[in-house]
Amino acid sequence: MRDKLHIYTVLIILVSLIIIAAIVDTLLQPKSFNEHGHYRWDAVNELEKQTVINQNSKICSECHKDIYQLHEKDAHFSVPCVDCHGAGNLHVAYHKDSVSSNITKEKAILKKEFKFEGCLFCHKKLNARPSDFPQINQKEHYKFMHIIDSTAKCIECHSPHEPIFLLTDSRQSRLHPIVYKCTDCHKTKPKKNFYDVADHPKIFECKDCHAEIVKDFNSKPHHNYVECRTCHLFHKESENIGRMYKNGNAKFCLLCHENKPFKDPKYPPKVEWPNHISNIKSIEKTDTKICLNCHEKQIHKMNLQLKGNPHPGNWKSEHKKFAVNKLSKKIDASCNLCHQKDYCLSCHKVEMPHNDQFKGDDHKLVVQKKGKALCYNCHAKEFCTTCHE
Amino acid sequence: MDNIERRQFLKLGIYSSAGLLVGSFFAFSKGNDKIDVLEYDDLLKFDWGYVVDTTKCIGCGSCVRACSVENSVPDTFYRTWVERFEIDNHEIVRVDSPKGAIESFKEDNFKSDISKAFFVPKICNHCYNSACTQVCPVGASYHSPDGVVLIDKAHCIGCGYCVQACPYGCRYIDHKKGTADKCTLCYHRIHKGEEPACVNACPRSARIFGNLKDPNSKIRKILNQRRYGLLKPDLGTNPKCYYIGLDLEVV
Repeated sequence: MRDKLHIYTVLIILVSLIIIAAIVDTLLQPKSFNEHGHYRWDAVNELEKQTVINQNSKICSECHKDIYQLHEKDAHFSVPCVDCHGAGNLHVAYHKDSVSSNITKEKAILKKEFKFEGCLFCHKKLNARPSDFPQINQKEHYKFMHIIDSTAKCIECHSPHEPIFLLTDSRQSRLHPIVYKCTDCHKTKPKKNFYDVADHPKIFECKDCHAEIVKDFNSKPHHNYVECRTCHLFHKESENIGRMYKNGNAKFCLLCHENKPFKDPKYPPKVEWPNHISNIKSIEKTDTKICLNCHEKQIHKMNLQLKGNPHPGNWKSEHKKFAVNKLSKKIDASCNLCHQKDYCLSCHKVEMPHNDQFKGDDHKLVVQKKGKALCYNCHAKEFCTTCHE
Repeated sequence: MDNIERRQFLKLGIYSSAGLLVGSFFAFSKGNDKIDVLEYDDLLKFDWGYVVDTTKCIGCGSCVRACSVENSVPDTFYRTWVERFEIDNHEIVRVDSPKGAIESFKEDNFKSDISKAFFVPKICNHCYNSACTQVCPVGASYHSPDGVVLIDKAHCIGCGYCVQACPYGCRYIDHKKGTADKCTLCYHRIHKGEEPACVNACPRSARIFGNLKDPNSKIRKILNQRRYGLLKPDLGTNPKCYYIGLDLEVV
């Protein structure tokens, strides 16, 4: 009997301890703990209340449309505004509602000016950077460009929204501008699979097709400093799109040839801009190819009808048909497979990409304006037969 | 007659006041709840994942700068950082990350003979079986229903077990607040339709963020097409940060 009493007392003490522990546990447990797991559910919503600081580029584009469009077209299109201008939350809050936000005007100003470091964060030459990414050694670059003042900033020549200068490693580019599949050239299937362009036994160079132009170019003063790819950008953007880009822009020539206080005044030849053209009345000042109109012969022959060139003389007018036939099998192919976006736009003045109405009646009008165009100038021949069996 | 009228009057009064009470309760409760509050069932539709394309990273450190501004991370601590791996011809590997690459990288470590070099951005892996949440003695470290590893800072006691438990070194103790802290995948941004600050700041889109439960999301398509690796997969933590172009040297 005594033993039983002992057991009961022990049991009662244990049970009461457990009950007390449970009561204490429930009292100490914060609200909403264990609601959806072993954590406080309210903590999730507390985190949600933190304010957003880094702004999306879309918000910037709502007010700064012009700069955003400029920026989107050029090489820096993938660089968001926050990287250079800072987070921008105060700037946005101030300009949305300057009274209630309690932000002084000084705080709302975004940083604009950059030291070297700002650009060199990305563009300093490092072994670890991918080779297709444009990068420079500052000293070598300044020596090459004949810049005397070593404190001159990058943005004195390169506008960050429109950097213009682009030079990519040819080995990163596609094997050939118009050939896409191995079977286009090789009748039998190649023994090896060349996943990388650089593995191909023959790397196509500009002179393979444009021999005379390259020869002519090499005899002209530019050849020591400029490569074909400096002006004719040719690089791989994705698996489907590579682009040829003729950089005849005046801003591009002025990168080297505009007279600025930090540059060597003698070499390369400098011009005062815009005084250089301001007295000549025949020049249209808005023309972007303003330099090439007079100086084109100093670069290389501009005529493509040459020996060693596989294209016939009427290539310029006829190549569309070739392109259409070539590309029709690939659905997402279009003119900008080879040309830049603006190329079509320069004549057709149609929005790119086309708006929704275009598929309906709008595009017929465009075709009619062009004159006697056939459907399959743009669509593949099979396009008509899909409906009109 | 008097009695009946009084009874009716009382009944009417009771019913109407009860109706008012219930009605107002509903009205007010609805008004307070459904604005800006995350519901548990809604969160179950998401499983946030993260892809890092190491072949694209240029080591500029924009992500580190954006993160430290967005989350006011204290100096010398980093929620995300970039490591540089340099391997020379004798297969000697050097890894560095000066200040978490917040000011990018200055010079190459090897003056010559580099056979291979690349950058690897690091971030909390938000593991499915995370070691850090298991060791927390107070339940302040937890998985949110949408698959993000978070800290309840109001109840963290700052014991530092989780900092030691994380095999990837992604946690730190915030000495000002006396709590542990870590990457939240910018939890305050992702449910407002924004991307995390580091993804938003990446100039080469080397960081991709998205919902793993959505079969049409960009991240799912990338994971279906590309070959990817994980950090320290042998530990069984089942990390959710997928690395494209991961090298053997990276741990």
